[in-house]
Amino acid sequence: MDTANGNATTASAAPAALAQPNGHREDPGGFKLKFCTVCASNQNRSMEGHLRLALANYPVISFGTGSLVRLPGPTITQPNVYKFNETSYDSIYRELEAKDPRLYRANGLLNMLGRNRNIKWGPERWQDWQVGMPRVKKETDKGFEGMEGGVADIVITCEERCWDAVIDDLLNRGSPLNRAVHVINIDIKDNHEEASVGGKAMVDLADSLNQVAKEEREKVGAAAFDSGSGAARASFDERVPEVIGEWQERWPNLPATWTLAWF
Amino acid sequence: MASTPAVPIEEQLKQLNAARKLALENSAYYDRIVKGVLPVIGPTSSIELKRWGAEFLAESLATPVLSMRDKESLTLSVLDTLKSLLESEQDDAIVLKASIAAAASAYPVVLRWIIHNSYHTEAWEQISAIKSRILRIWDGAPAPVRLSCIKFAQRVVLAQTTSNGQEVKYGGLDISLSMVPANHPLLDPRLMEAEATGLLDRMLGVLQDNSNDALLVDATLNCLSILIRTRPSTSNRIINCVLNFNPLKLANSPMTPKNKVLMKSMEKTTRMLMINILKRHVDPNNQHSGRVQQYVERLMRSRAEIFDEAGRKRQLADQAAAQYGDLKRQKMQDASAAAPEPAAPAQPAVIPPLAPGPQTLAAVFTLTNNPGLQAFDATSIPANLVAKIVARTLNTLDQSVLDFAVNGIRSRLHTLQAAAVTAAAQYAAHGAAGLPGAINPATAPLGVEEDDDDYEPNLDAAEDTEQILNKLDNAPPETALDEYADPNAALGLGPFTLAPPPLIDADVASKLSSAAASRLFGPLSSLSSEGPSKKPKAGINRLAASSYDRDSWLTVATRLATRSTFGLEEEEQEEQTSAVKSEEGAVSYPLASTFNQSIREMLFTYILEDWRPRIEVAVAWLSEEWYNDQLTKRTGLRNAPLHYETWALRLLDGFMTFITAQDKVLTRFLAEIPELSGELLGRLKTLCGDPNTLGLAMTSLLYLVMMRPPARELALDTVGGIWVEYEEARPLAAKYLSKWRPGWVEQQMHLQAAKAVAGGGGNGAAGIAA
Repeated sequence: MDTANGNATTASAAPAALAQPNGHREDPGGFKLKFCTVCASNQNRSMEGHLRLALANYPVISFGTGSLVRLPGPTITQPNVYKFNETSYDSIYRELEAKDPRLYRANGLLNMLGRNRNIKWGPERWQDWQVGMPRVKKETDKGFEGMEGGVADIVITCEERCWDAVIDDLLNRGSPLNRAVHVINIDIKDNHEEASVGGKAMVDLADSLNQVAKEEREKVGAAAFDSGSGAARASFDERVPEVIGEWQERWPNLPATWTLAWF
Repeated sequence: MASTPAVPIEEQLKQLNAARKLALENSAYYDRIVKGVLPVIGPTSSIELKRWGAEFLAESLATPVLSMRDKESLTLSVLDTLKSLLESEQDDAIVLKASIAAAASAYPVVLRWIIHNSYHTEAWEQISAIKSRILRIWDGAPAPVRLSCIKFAQRVVLAQTTSNGQEVKYGGLDISLSMVPANHPLLDPRLMEAEATGLLDRMLGVLQDNSNDALLVDATLNCLSILIRTRPSTSNRIINCVLNFNPLKLANSPMTPKNKVLMKSMEKTTRMLMINILKRHVDPNNQHSGRVQQYVERLMRSRAEIFDEAGRKRQLADQAAAQYGDLKRQKMQDASAAAPEPAAPAQPAVIPPLAPGPQTLAAVFTLTNNPGLQAFDATSIPANLVAKIVARTLNTLDQSVLDFAVNGIRSRLHTLQAAAVTAAAQYAAHGAAGLPGAINPATAPLGVEEDDDDYEPNLDAAEDTEQILNKLDNAPPETALDEYADPNAALGLGPFTLAPPPLIDADVASKLSSAAASRLFGPLSSLSSEGPSKKPKAGINRLAASSYDRDSWLTVATRLATRSTFGLEEEEQEEQTSAVKSEEGAVSYPLASTFNQSIREMLFTYILEDWRPRIEVAVAWLSEEWYNDQLTKRTGLRNAPLHYETWALRLLDGFMTFITAQDKVLTRFLAEIPELSGELLGRLKTLCGDPNTLGLAMTSLLYLVMMRPPARELALDTVGGIWVEYEEARPLAAKYLSKWRPGWVEQQMHLQAAKAVAGGGGNGAAGIAA
């Protein structure tokens, strides 16, 4: 599967700056879509996506939709469970390191938490997120730049049930902000390797979407309405399904679902 | 076009962004900053400034940080600018989209203001103008603008229909027709409701037309939930409309990637709305819930049909891609030559030698040359069918053919083993570097990949499994891997030895033993004890533990306690003494007997917990102990500890403290235990100190004297001892003794008299002398 996706990456339609090996790249400036990544525990997949998108200079925040943060424990029936919004990655890291450093190093948890604590303070729960609350006190978070308004243009979930939870939650909230948001699910299996592949795919998707959004912004005035035809005239919102369709061809192993919802 | 040409637009935007940040940091600045930027973003400004301004207005009017009061004043102050933005900007979708979004947030706020301040006709005129402007541009507008129009219409419907009061009270969602008084000078509730109904119809038009435009369909569906939930007058209409909507209509058009995305999106969005309705809004008695349920199920079935078809086709394609042509015909052709079948015993089949290099296990066991058969995946046949085929084949197979095939495989394995030995030698010589077949832990397939089907995203545990399995990913290469680094070596089938179990020190062992012992007693409380009346008398033929009741279980427990380490204790004890010699202070039970001792302790506790009814258990246990001691003695094991006496004494001591005059069980206990000793009976003497229990002790002894002749002398000795020690017991003791040891009492009396004479001799002599 890796080869399939790998080939696809090189054939990426988005002419965005090529990612350097460590994921860092030059900030091209200009318009940027604001992203939000969501998985179950705001630990592995959403944080991988958070980091990659932040390194690609996108404004990004991340959440989990689970009731609690669940991490594997010594056996399958003894997971390590933490509260959202109240536990920092650092404290989880220190707790697990004290419990059994060998086990948690071997299963990659410490490595993951070590990464996460450099991205933001702690796991946040989607359902507790007050959309539109200014996030001005989070300067140290990766991907903070541009996220001050506390809203996102694109929500990327990493699992169907997270997508369901997000949509269900948005329906229940009743969309008081009147702001459209594209909610896209990418099915990523919950392991480190797949999360990494998924992170790459997210950046690819982000690049493709941002490119389209940028094109829309660059068209000014009457030209935007009259010049060209078809795809060139279409707006960003209209082109999102098309971009996802193309992206899906490049990443056939990460099935995607999309909808337009309201904050 | 720019209003302030002196300052470049980029500089202006930078300043505006700084102002916005200030407002975000402190909501108190919102009012001032919004009012301050209004002139900059007016209709004559450049397009960049207008875009920024419209988006800032949309953000400000929607922000959750401001209270309704603050928002009212803010909203009223921007209406004019909003109106002019909407009217002047004909073309730019971004400005229109954001302005309409701002208007959607403004509408309920203004309506609320008008409800309470009916004099303010100006504000009502402004918002009415904005509304009619938006509704006018709705139809011909580009998609993003239409999105905003849908949302605006939804907010108007929400504000102009009657609420059932179930909505949350924020963001203006609670502003509804219920708040408008019937005699309001500006607002006519009936007209407003009529307008709302019309707008709702217009919104739902996209569904009624069964549009393929997923963007508009999704946008509409995703804002209907709150209407259905909190505006009862709309819910019937909406639900009927959604139920008649077929999101899978696109299935008939070509399945382009985009179409797939659109169709999936509409189907899933519709389904999510319906599930949300089922979960939250529609009470179970509602006429709709059954239909909604059916609709959701039908959608899921259709979706599965449409999208799974592709999956099924791919499977067929995979088989075709095996590139072995028509499998069936090839099999027919080469069957006789390929497989050693009974049809061709005359021409002996040739078993081809293996190609050099690493082999798969399948290759080693493959005897056929037929590529079609080689490619056949036997795992696709169900296991029970395989079993039938194998049984029948083996039944009809010629023995010589089978031997031939088995020998062929055997020789292959020998070859591989030889190759493995040389390879191992090479490996040892060259070290680990550059070994071709070594498994790389970083790229080794994870277990996760294999059990794709088991992946169940609805189970939290599954996620954890995968994360655990995934530890392979980052685990450092384990040393054990080296042994299997060469697949040839793995196939060598050398002698296999289990790794020795980890050493357990005495401490851990004793802990584990007592844990195991306590497990043994776990079931006792739940096991039924058959009443004495029901107990079948199997007599001498009975088996110790033939039924699963409490008695049987206790038998098991007593035998585990007494016999399980028979013969081991001696060795242990020797080891222990030598160990003690070497390291002083190591005091503990010998390893093997820890378990027994734990069980004994627990049996002891179990009996004493309720000793009267459990006296039988005690007797059974002591019988086992005695039997075991006898066996130990007979086998002549020296140093082996004997347990009977110890535990009999402990048990008796245990009872003694609780015994009362009525406890005939003591008599029974003493009569039934297999061996008595002086010490044991001596314990009875303590009972004689108390006049209450004296009788019991004496009766027990009498019983022994009468009914247990071998113990008669012992018992009489004890009675004698009692006679000597306890004055109060003398009458009773004398009675027994006179019967069973005639003359003994008199003899004792004489002795005592003599003693007394001897003791008081001095005095007596003196008295006589005096």
